[in-house]
Amino acid sequence: MEVKRNQLSAWLYLLPTIILMAIFTVYPLIRSFFMAFAENYNYMTDTWSSIGINNFRIILGEGSEFLQYLKTTCLIVIISVPISVVLSLLIAVGLNSIKKLTKLYQTIFFMPYVTNSIAIGMVFSVMFAGDKSIVNYVLELLGIGGQNWLGGVSTYGNHASYVSQMTVLLIYIVWHSLPFKILVLLSGLQGIDKQYYQAAQIDSASKFTVLTKITVPLLSPQIAFLTTTSFIGAFKEYSSVIGLFGAKEGATGGHYDMRTIVGYIYASLTDLNVGEACAGAVVLFVIIMVFTLLKNFISRKQIHY
Amino acid sequence: MDIKIVHLTKVFADKDQAEVRAVDDLDIVIPSGKLIGLLGPSGCGKSTTLYMIAGLLSPTDGQIYFGDDDVTKLSPEKRGIGLVFQNYALYPHMTVKQNILFPLQNLKVPKVEALERAQKVADLVDIGSLMDRKPRQLSGGQQQRVAIARALVKEPDVLLLDEPLSNLDARLRLQTREEIKRIQRETGITTVFVTHDQEEAMSISDEIVVMKLGVVQQQGKPQDVYNNPVNKFVAKFLGTPPINMFNAEIVDGKVMIGEEAIAEVPFENQEVEVGIRPEGFEVVDGADSGAFSFVVEQIEFIGRDKSIVARHPNCQTASFRFIIDADIQGVEVGKTIRANVKPNKRYIFHKVTEKNMELSSPEELEVVEQVEELGE
Amino acid sequence: MPLLIIFSLIIALFVIVIIYKTIEKPSRRDGRLNHNLVIDETIELEYQKQIRREIIAKVVRYVIAYSLLTVAAFLVVFPFYWMFATSVKSAEEVMKMPPTIFPHEIHIENFKVAMQSANFGRFLINTLIVGVFSTLGTLVTTVTSAFAFARLNFRGRDLLFSMFIATMMIPGEMMVITNFITIMEWGMYNTYAAMIIPFWVSTYYIYLLRNTFKQIPNELYYAAKVDGTSDFKYLLKVMLPIASPTIITITILKLMGAWNSYVWPNLITDEDMRLITNGLRGSFSSEDGATVHLQMAATTVVTVPLLLVFIFFRKYIMRGVSRSGIKG
Repeated sequence: MEVKRNQLSAWLYLLPTIILMAIFTVYPLIRSFFMAFAENYNYMTDTWSSIGINNFRIILGEGSEFLQYLKTTCLIVIISVPISVVLSLLIAVGLNSIKKLTKLYQTIFFMPYVTNSIAIGMVFSVMFAGDKSIVNYVLELLGIGGQNWLGGVSTYGNHASYVSQMTVLLIYIVWHSLPFKILVLLSGLQGIDKQYYQAAQIDSASKFTVLTKITVPLLSPQIAFLTTTSFIGAFKEYSSVIGLFGAKEGATGGHYDMRTIVGYIYASLTDLNVGEACAGAVVLFVIIMVFTLLKNFISRKQIHY
Repeated sequence: MDIKIVHLTKVFADKDQAEVRAVDDLDIVIPSGKLIGLLGPSGCGKSTTLYMIAGLLSPTDGQIYFGDDDVTKLSPEKRGIGLVFQNYALYPHMTVKQNILFPLQNLKVPKVEALERAQKVADLVDIGSLMDRKPRQLSGGQQQRVAIARALVKEPDVLLLDEPLSNLDARLRLQTREEIKRIQRETGITTVFVTHDQEEAMSISDEIVVMKLGVVQQQGKPQDVYNNPVNKFVAKFLGTPPINMFNAEIVDGKVMIGEEAIAEVPFENQEVEVGIRPEGFEVVDGADSGAFSFVVEQIEFIGRDKSIVARHPNCQTASFRFIIDADIQGVEVGKTIRANVKPNKRYIFHKVTEKNMELSSPEELEVVEQVEELGE
Repeated sequence: MPLLIIFSLIIALFVIVIIYKTIEKPSRRDGRLNHNLVIDETIELEYQKQIRREIIAKVVRYVIAYSLLTVAAFLVVFPFYWMFATSVKSAEEVMKMPPTIFPHEIHIENFKVAMQSANFGRFLINTLIVGVFSTLGTLVTTVTSAFAFARLNFRGRDLLFSMFIATMMIPGEMMVITNFITIMEWGMYNTYAAMIIPFWVSTYYIYLLRNTFKQIPNELYYAAKVDGTSDFKYLLKVMLPIASPTIITITILKLMGAWNSYVWPNLITDEDMRLITNGLRGSFSSEDGATVHLQMAATTVVTVPLLLVFIFFRKYIMRGVSRSGIKG
């Protein structure tokens, strides 16, 4: 039921938003797309030589550094997402099964979310870096032996391998991404009708059966949502790299071992290679669109089994 | 101030863009200072009519006059109305006092005067001691009173209430409807309220307007409408227990239900429907006297009266129910008893137009018949 | 090392006490004793056995659950603890082997030294200015647009709203590149405006607030109309107070966003115009072992306000976050 159609006043209310969106969202989107396909683009003079896919040929061509960064990004995505989903599921199920101290644990598990990812990245690097780091000390105690995780002069050699750098990065990314997943899964768990569990108990199902045959299937909408959004988030990973490794985005100077797609975009932008930055952004855009469509597709299907 | 509604029509587009005539060519005059109930089943257009009177919906066609002023195009706040919503629509973050003061602030009433008026109206509806509470701290009945106070504080010319009792429990409902009647009498304000509950409307209204599918069926004093329904719909809609409907036939000026003549009417031979109010049966002794006979199926004592459930082959429902004085003897389950039908409690409805034949002119009954013939 | 052992013992004790208190001991049903004595004894025995088995199973389950959670919670909390502990250690203690779990001496002056090692005072002021003004602007655009989408009726509303929603899916990097150029072209490099104005619109907050507004019953609007309230006054006097929890959520998340922003200020500012996170990262290189305690002191200064905000506004933050994964 309407009082009257308030056409004009509605647009007045929206005017500031629309102007700002036009300048800082719509126009940039179009121009970035354009610049990705413009060759020899000079943003100062707004001139270009021709339109084509040269920028993409450069960044996706053989021997291009971008492919290395893409590989690093994909590794982050493929490893961190399943681990963090499984861990957060375990923690959420644990939280849901206890009665005392739930609030305390919930608060603790949410803490990484409200932190500054650069700041805590620096804490992680302190925890891992060097001979005298707490992590290496504990590993020595356990008899596993330490590692040169983050480069620099050390008794474990003066070079940090790709694998050890990636390990630290993944640990940090998982640590940082748990809270949101726990929050979503826990509220999903709390929404499951207790009657299913009572029915399962009467059918004398074991706790493990209950977890795999009832809890996980009923949580599948949340798990699917989390998995797809985490894929999207992990493809955009950047500030955790900066936090851990600093502006060099890797342990050994000049190599940018841990540089991601987003890292590449900002580096190209800082070097004023605008065309390549845009081409990189378009590649990222396409990847994210694929996962977004997948997410929408899955959430529309509302899978349960 | 009286309200005149002339040719009022509201057309909505439904989901498939098809037109729905929620209110169709409505003509009503609401007399000044009276309490009027707009009554009808859900979807009859009564709420739409109320919202159009309030100015929250604009009519597709027709006019609304407050006194002599055409208010059809006027926005709600300029009409001088108070409106009480079905769910009260109290502002949840404001106290009772702030809720009542809110309309006055918009009218820029000076603070001192506003406070005075708020207190006065709060006392009128008996919530003067709850002024600092929030709505959620009040019972349903109290919220209702706050909503009425908020509507009245502007001293409007017209008070509109949308299903004012539907959110209350049965006991509060009885109490609140007396309260609404009292407030209306004390203020003398022209009041229109909407309800689907015929008992509610009958008990407090000075006049009722019965609506069906956007069309007014009948308007009048509750007792008049009840006693003289113009058509089958009105007859069936009013009264608890509901009216009993029988298939009948007019043969030689006699109304025959089955083989029995229950009344004499000056109409030609035709099939008709007969409605008999539950209180319209006079049980008589003896096998020969009494016009109408039926088998008793069940007897319920309801204090002063007996409610009898009986069976008759011509009845349109499986059984019918009527009420007799509890003192009357000789009514037993399984027994066939005889009764006379009180002439003012039975109505003869036209088979096609469903109009009350005794209240209609012959032309009114003919017109539709011709249309029917053309259709064939 | 002994400290570590004591530490874990305390935690273990703690867990056991909790488990003990949590388990409700099944009480015997009263009616039992009235039964036939002979049958009763065997039943009673069986019953007792079963109860014991159930208790054991329950204890095992709780031990597993609490130990899993406690280990995980320890791993979550440890970086925070390590940051605090390191931040008050002396330069010598940081380099000690084995590392000291509890600082031997508390060096509060580390914070002072760390703050002086870079222009943190200035960074803090910059961050506050950017945070406050970008939040204010965001609130204005969010409230007006959410109101238009939730309450007003105009042609193209739903289409426009879905377009707004669609922009949330586009990675920000697409926009950042051109916005960087725009800021350069407008000569806004190294200004507060460059860090504030581009962030005055957030479609996620518009979406959040519009949903809150939508939950306010229509009747309130009609009631206000009958009372002669203008749209704007209705928004101010009725909708905003009712939606105040969401407004608080938006304000907190937005301020936290400014506090945590790194990428954009890093691109378009220099030196003194940078924000706190840039200052933190820029002032300490990661392999500089000698200043680890100062580095952690500065990190603590950045982290503590966030944790305090989280403790006091936990409810509001969780509300905003649980609707979507978008942060800041």
